[in-house]
Amino acid sequence: MTKLQAKNIVKHFDHNGNSVTALDGIDLNVEEGDFVCIVGPSGCGKSTFLNIVAGLETPDSGEILLNGKPISTPGPDRTMVFQEGALFPWLKVIDNIEFGLKIAGIPQGERREISQRYLDMMQLTKFADSYTYQLSTGMKQRVAIARALAMDPEILLMDEPFAALDSQTRDLLLVELQLIWERTKKTIIFVTHNISESVILGNKVEIFKNRPSKIKKEVIIDYRRPRLAEDENLQKYYHQILDELKSEVIAQSKDEIQ
Amino acid sequence: MTKDIQLKKSHRNFDDAANAALLIAVFTGIWQIVFMLGIWPTISLPSPFMVAGTFAKIIANGSLSQSIGITIGRLLGAFAISITLGTLIGFAMVKFKGFGKTLNSFSAGLLSFPSIAWVPFSILLIGFNEFGIMFVVIMSSIFSIMISTYSSIRNIPSIYLDAAKNIGAKGFSLFRYVTIPAATPSLIIGLRQAWSFAWHAIIGAEILMSIVGLGHILSVGREFLDMSQVIASMVTIFVIGLLVDRFLLHKMEDRIRRKWGLDHHR
Repeated sequence: MTKLQAKNIVKHFDHNGNSVTALDGIDLNVEEGDFVCIVGPSGCGKSTFLNIVAGLETPDSGEILLNGKPISTPGPDRTMVFQEGALFPWLKVIDNIEFGLKIAGIPQGERREISQRYLDMMQLTKFADSYTYQLSTGMKQRVAIARALAMDPEILLMDEPFAALDSQTRDLLLVELQLIWERTKKTIIFVTHNISESVILGNKVEIFKNRPSKIKKEVIIDYRRPRLAEDENLQKYYHQILDELKSEVIAQSKDEIQ
Repeated sequence: MTKDIQLKKSHRNFDDAANAALLIAVFTGIWQIVFMLGIWPTISLPSPFMVAGTFAKIIANGSLSQSIGITIGRLLGAFAISITLGTLIGFAMVKFKGFGKTLNSFSAGLLSFPSIAWVPFSILLIGFNEFGIMFVVIMSSIFSIMISTYSSIRNIPSIYLDAAKNIGAKGFSLFRYVTIPAATPSLIIGLRQAWSFAWHAIIGAEILMSIVGLGHILSVGREFLDMSQVIASMVTIFVIGLLVDRFLLHKMEDRIRRKWGLDHHR
């Protein structure tokens, strides 16, 4: 069943008075339970696309359908894990996780039950009453994932959530995220510029072309899980994606020199 | 471990108190020496002991506590109005952007407007009464509250708002659960500034417009050539200003900064 459908999404930006086309007709179908990774050179508009799916930005034309219904505003059915810094420093970890539930008017008892479940899942139980400055970057991202999952979204959006992590923490979370995906059966769209991340996580990898952005190619990765970063069998997918991206990166640097 | 921290903290408090006592002792000592040199006549510069005597007198006859009570009462009334109105106008400035931008520039100009300069206007507009004094205090502090409310909200990192909208906050819930707490550390800094403006204003207004209050006993001291009373009033004004800032507003700011981890830069 198709969970999310992007139809011919176009987005222009104003850059010093000139209109720059960021997205030039993105078409994407995400099936229920898919783990879709979007890779592309930096500045190619992949985060913009994700923001449009989240409803935080509006496209100039085209539409996003969730379960066949068009969407245009943000909503807890599409929760996002941001790159970093999106936790509320005035709230404890547990209150951060429960924030959306509280807004939704879910009674305290039920809130505690849900937050406890995700605190356990993300191994944060000991830190429930900590404030965010007391956490490492890796733990902060776990909280952010717990907060997004607590809303039981239709689809989980992740915008380079591991970009600021050290490589050991990242490798750990890459495995954990696969386990969470298998356990919760969530549909996930994961944006990254890191090819290995996309190969480890995605069962589909969408390669974005440099600006004006389109989807250049889709790579299907049918390989057992949990996949580990050091697995050599993933190399062929890695190189396949790298070859596609190389020309984009070269095109981009030419663009920047001009 | 907590005991250790507590011990350290009480040590630090003790050190602070010792330093303060030392500073006061040195200052009073120099004052006493200058007094004994006899450069000024006693009527222009009394000794610390004479000022202490005046303190004892105005405490005993109740005029000090009465003056403090009246001044603080006026100030709290006026400051409460200032905070309420200033915050509401600040919210309106955020909501209506064009209005906010214009008013922000005007307010910035009025921020540096001397509070004393409101006095003649207030006397003619409202009169030589309580409300006239309160008007001066309000006009001297409200712009600071308005600007601080406006800029505190506008400077909230957009990632907090995006994150909150993304998990379902909008309208009032966004305002109540994100805008207000996210703006709080910066709002408190504005509050401290407004308090100091209000404190300047009340004393100034009382010197010129009042027949009771701290500013009044200060100006009475001058009229009766009673320098001891002038100095005693000044010391009282200084101590109250210090106590409110250090032990109320600064403590509030500290608590929030600690909770947010703003003092833990890594």
